[in-house]
Amino acid sequence: MTADNTTDKTGPHGEGPLLTIEDLRVDIASRERTVHALDGVSLSLAPGEALGIVGESGSGKTMTALSVLGLLPPGGEITGGRVLFDGRDLAAAPAPVLQDVRGDTIGMVFQDPLTSLNPTMTIGAQVAEPLLLHRPGIGRKEAWSRAEEMLRLVGMPQPAERMKVYPHQLSGGMRQRVAIAMALVCEPKLLIADEPTTALDVTTQHQILELVDDLRSRLGMALILVTHDLGVIAHRVDRVAVMYAGKVAEQASVRDLFERPRHRYTEALFSALPERAAAGAELHTIPGLPPGLVTRPTGCRFAPRCAFATDECRAGEPPLTDAGEPSAEHRFACFHPVPDEAASDEDVVRPAPALPAAAPGDVLLELDALVKEFPLKGGAFARSRGTVSAVGGVSLTIRRGETFGMVGESGCGKTTLGRIVAGLEEPTAGAVRFEGADPSRMSRAERRAHRRRVQLMFQDSTAAMDPRMRVGEILREPLVIQGVGDRTEQEERVAGLLDAVGLPRGAVHRYPHEFSGGQRQRLGLARALTLSPDLVVADEPVSALDVSVQAQILNLMRELQRERGLTYLFISHDLAVVRHLADTVGVMYLGRLVEAGPAEQVYARPLHPYTRGLLDTVNLPVVAAEGTAKPGPSPLKGETPSAARPPSGCRFRTRCPLAQDVCATTEPEVSTPNGGAHQVACHFPSASPRLASSV
Amino acid sequence: MRSTAVPVTSPGDPGATPGNEEAARATPSLARRTLRVFTGNKLALTGVVVLLLLLAFSYLGPLVHDTEQVHTDLSRANLPPGSSGHLLGTTDLGYDMVGRLMVAGQTSLEIGLAAGLLATLFGTVYGAVSGYFGGWIDAAMMRVTDAALAIPAMFLLVVVAAIITPGEGVLIVIIAAVAWLSPARLVRGEALSLRDREYVQAMRMMGGGGARAVFKHIVPNAIGTVIVNCTFQIADAILYVSYLAFLGLSIPPPSADWGSMLSAGITYTQNGYWWLIFPPGIAIVLVVAAFNFIGDGLRDAFEVRLRK
Amino acid sequence: MTGFTGFLVKRILQAVVVLFLVSIIVFVLLHLLPGGPARAILGPKGTPQQIEHFNHQQGYDRSLPTQYLMYLKRLLTGDLGESFKLNSPVLDLLRQRLPKTLLLTVLSTVLAVVIAVPLGLLQAVRRGKASDYALTGLTFLLYATPVFFLGLIMIILFAQVMPILPAEAPQGETIADLLGDVTGLILPVVTMAFGIIAMFSRYMRSAVLDNLTEEYVRTAMAKGQSSRRIMGRHVLRNALIPLATLLGLYLPTLFSGALVVESMFNYPGMGLLFWNAAQGSDFPVLLGVTLVVGVATVVGSLLTDILYAVLDPRIRSVA
Repeated sequence: MTADNTTDKTGPHGEGPLLTIEDLRVDIASRERTVHALDGVSLSLAPGEALGIVGESGSGKTMTALSVLGLLPPGGEITGGRVLFDGRDLAAAPAPVLQDVRGDTIGMVFQDPLTSLNPTMTIGAQVAEPLLLHRPGIGRKEAWSRAEEMLRLVGMPQPAERMKVYPHQLSGGMRQRVAIAMALVCEPKLLIADEPTTALDVTTQHQILELVDDLRSRLGMALILVTHDLGVIAHRVDRVAVMYAGKVAEQASVRDLFERPRHRYTEALFSALPERAAAGAELHTIPGLPPGLVTRPTGCRFAPRCAFATDECRAGEPPLTDAGEPSAEHRFACFHPVPDEAASDEDVVRPAPALPAAAPGDVLLELDALVKEFPLKGGAFARSRGTVSAVGGVSLTIRRGETFGMVGESGCGKTTLGRIVAGLEEPTAGAVRFEGADPSRMSRAERRAHRRRVQLMFQDSTAAMDPRMRVGEILREPLVIQGVGDRTEQEERVAGLLDAVGLPRGAVHRYPHEFSGGQRQRLGLARALTLSPDLVVADEPVSALDVSVQAQILNLMRELQRERGLTYLFISHDLAVVRHLADTVGVMYLGRLVEAGPAEQVYARPLHPYTRGLLDTVNLPVVAAEGTAKPGPSPLKGETPSAARPPSGCRFRTRCPLAQDVCATTEPEVSTPNGGAHQVACHFPSASPRLASSV
Repeated sequence: MRSTAVPVTSPGDPGATPGNEEAARATPSLARRTLRVFTGNKLALTGVVVLLLLLAFSYLGPLVHDTEQVHTDLSRANLPPGSSGHLLGTTDLGYDMVGRLMVAGQTSLEIGLAAGLLATLFGTVYGAVSGYFGGWIDAAMMRVTDAALAIPAMFLLVVVAAIITPGEGVLIVIIAAVAWLSPARLVRGEALSLRDREYVQAMRMMGGGGARAVFKHIVPNAIGTVIVNCTFQIADAILYVSYLAFLGLSIPPPSADWGSMLSAGITYTQNGYWWLIFPPGIAIVLVVAAFNFIGDGLRDAFEVRLRK
Repeated sequence: MTGFTGFLVKRILQAVVVLFLVSIIVFVLLHLLPGGPARAILGPKGTPQQIEHFNHQQGYDRSLPTQYLMYLKRLLTGDLGESFKLNSPVLDLLRQRLPKTLLLTVLSTVLAVVIAVPLGLLQAVRRGKASDYALTGLTFLLYATPVFFLGLIMIILFAQVMPILPAEAPQGETIADLLGDVTGLILPVVTMAFGIIAMFSRYMRSAVLDNLTEEYVRTAMAKGQSSRRIMGRHVLRNALIPLATLLGLYLPTLFSGALVVESMFNYPGMGLLFWNAAQGSDFPVLLGVTLVVGVATVVGSLLTDILYAVLDPRIRSVA
């Protein structure tokens, strides 16, 4: 389906819609309270159409998807509205009717491909299962061969052999292919995919989205793609519904939505994306948090966070209307929408770029041929079987006051590198030099004092904070350990830190789990700063956060860096975030640093084919101009090999489009073909700049 | 121009931060929330009530119902319930059954509590050491518990019974000697997982040492598991006392516990002296079940308090 | 499969170490006996001269490590000593009795599993409802009841009040003899099974509940399976696999239960042999049986661990 013919398809006068959701209401009851998760959601979908549902966590996007098939979690209940599919109301349908529809005419794919497959059943049995359920005429043998055919269709190599293996024997990407095969084996009319790529790496993500796209056009089915990722939605659907706090805030064709968002929430969401901000500029943030939905808010649910809210917004709920839009397809629920004549993106006046970070100072940290190997333990058998090369000889320098962004996919060793720098792991070989001094050669006392100067900010602050300590005690702990000041001084310092990260001082009396994800990252940052370190290693500090909250944390980190002259080693898989924050960027692949240099240069003129592939894979939250092709097939084929048996020579060669014999035999030397500080470890660095793009 | 219209909040401005009003709200303490979940569990509350009643019966009962429990009176042996003021009849040695149950209850509860606590204490220390050090120390210490666990407790107890004559203190030690294994393994598992938690890593990164890790982080987080297990240990210890009596290792008269009363009653199964069997048997079942209900309720409560 | 072989080797080595430690524990018990090993082995009739002669002959006057090695050597040649009450080698006695104890244990375990699995499943399905509370309360009461009290109630109910079953177990020489008298087996087997049901149904309840929250259950629902089929085909199977390990863990408890039940019903197994030996201070039998029970437990848990690894593909086939 192309974007062009969807409008007349979904119109009231076209052929009837495949799925109509009318005024859907869902409550989720738990031991303590009842949350009104969905509060009057209406959507429709034409046969063959692709609808994206996008929203932040708690917006109700997943609940909407789950309600269609009656798969709500325990305590969840549809309290009103209808879900019409093929003329039947699924919301009111008895279990046998739902069971007929599930897996047959509607297939579903979930987020986590590991947990959503049965660990003790073979792939083949799981893929064939829907056929045995829904096609009574089909024998076991035919179901098996059709399942194998389906696995071939979803791009599973050697499907006949893979039929007999168990989920844990496959990689994440392959497991998700299995989940897709399972959902499609009965050739449904509708596929519902709930965050199907969120748990996967960028390159795998791209492959899976390609696959879904391809299968959709081959099988002519409709698609509901639920995601928090505006980049994913931009390229893969015809129409988008933006959800906020259990309601649809805006829906439009994907082009209209990205080019002319009308709801103030949609607008704010777009502005909070790091991709949309000038490098070095402060990000737009949306203050506050979405409402909790235990009580139904009066008025517009976005009003408390909206800069344009008036008494009207606070008093009454805006209806979802097309308010004079040329296409009845574009509807939004806002009293004070973005004016229609709004200028296109190019004219956006961005806030003046912030002062460039202080001119790079002297070298603060130096890594010299750092190696870290872990003994490989095979599951339940503690017997060691070889080693995993997590970091395979990385050298780099970080200057005082800069932000060094380290990017790479999962398993590339970036986290291990960060942990070594933070002193949580000892390197197997090589050296860490902090202002020229190697911590591993320090005396016990020196080392203890050195601890103050490097601190780590964890990805998951929930896990990194003792659940039985109050925040005051957690923040004071570093001072107590290092014996800084007496209790009063420590408490003063903690109060100052809370001010600095924008949390109320009263927070000291509460427990970590009482805070939202974003607030906990603020606490994490505060604790990392308690000892006034020189270097903060931040390991994926925003990857668990929603876009609007992510922007708050990134701004905070940047501001504190300016105020306190901090140096960051910022580790992330998110190229846009790193691009936004980092002065210098390093790219890791399978334990090696393949490229490093000034952020501008690395992003504009990537030298390593891996960097280039990674940058080309990213789904930008921008719709392609009319007539231009959708993003091409993923430039990075296949999967990252195991770090237990890294390829000889250049570790990237097995996936590299440019690989030659020399790559297998010789490890590439570091060179600087672009001059200056821009380094690459490749036999055939590319010379041409990348086509312009915001990442 | 529409983008500029979106307010840029300064992160340093506390006014812009979410949850100010939330922060002002008083936080119920963890203990209070744990209590709330516990009291919401009907079986656990039943357990508490039953336990309190049994405690009152055993310790306050003798104040109300004073009976001869030292000197035997064979002329009044095995009287059926109701006869001459003996509500539940008399034992084979002529003791008043109700009064006997009170005295025996004191012994059973004391041995159970003491042995359960002793086993928990020793097992916790053993398990914590094994789990915290890990590696070879752990492997060696765990093989020892494996070996000790391999010989079923009842067999070990019988052999020991054949070697020594029991007193209350000896019973406590013997029972603790077989019971410590389960808390040891449990705490070891807990310590193994806790020592790798990120908050322990975070503390190490600040320069904190092993003692702080153990006492500030590992022990407080494992304490819930230990308390729950302790309740089960007490229940098991009371069961062990009764098994020991059945297997011929009971405290010599005039002392008594519910187990020895029950096994004494078994001799008279053929005679139909049911009052010698059911009252002590039911007392054991009640007290053991009560501790189990309480333990189960506590486990729920401790789990809940860590949930979001 | 190299991973699996590695697992086997490691697990077997572990079991061997534990077996050594078990033999040391029994050796230590031997030395704790009043009057030392000689008095224990010769019995109370032994004269001082006999004891001295025995000690010298058996090497009990040498150093402890040497004594242990000698003890170990005797064990490995199958010499578990001789009962001075029954005038028969302990090994021969065990050869007669052990199979009978295994029969009792296996029968009651099978019965317990057959009852406990559906019971736990039912509780999980009815979670939080009155029937769940009632069954939970009941299983706890069952757990809290000493096995001999349970057996006593059984005897009173079915052998005295309603005399439909014999209160004594069959007294045959062979397993076939025992099986020939099924009515006699009922009370001991049922009594022992009741003691186990509580533990197993408790496990099943929580295992099923855990599995029900797994996401693969939602996937199975999304395929259009009925809840009954999901229970049977997905949840039950995944909840049953760890039951193998649980059986291994509860082996000592099972043997303890057998000891009590056999003494109770006069069932001619190892437990009764042991109990009678305890009454008569027949120490060679006591220690011999203790050792064999320990070895049986170690071997049994080794087997259940291997069974578990075979049943669970995640362990069986680490790539």
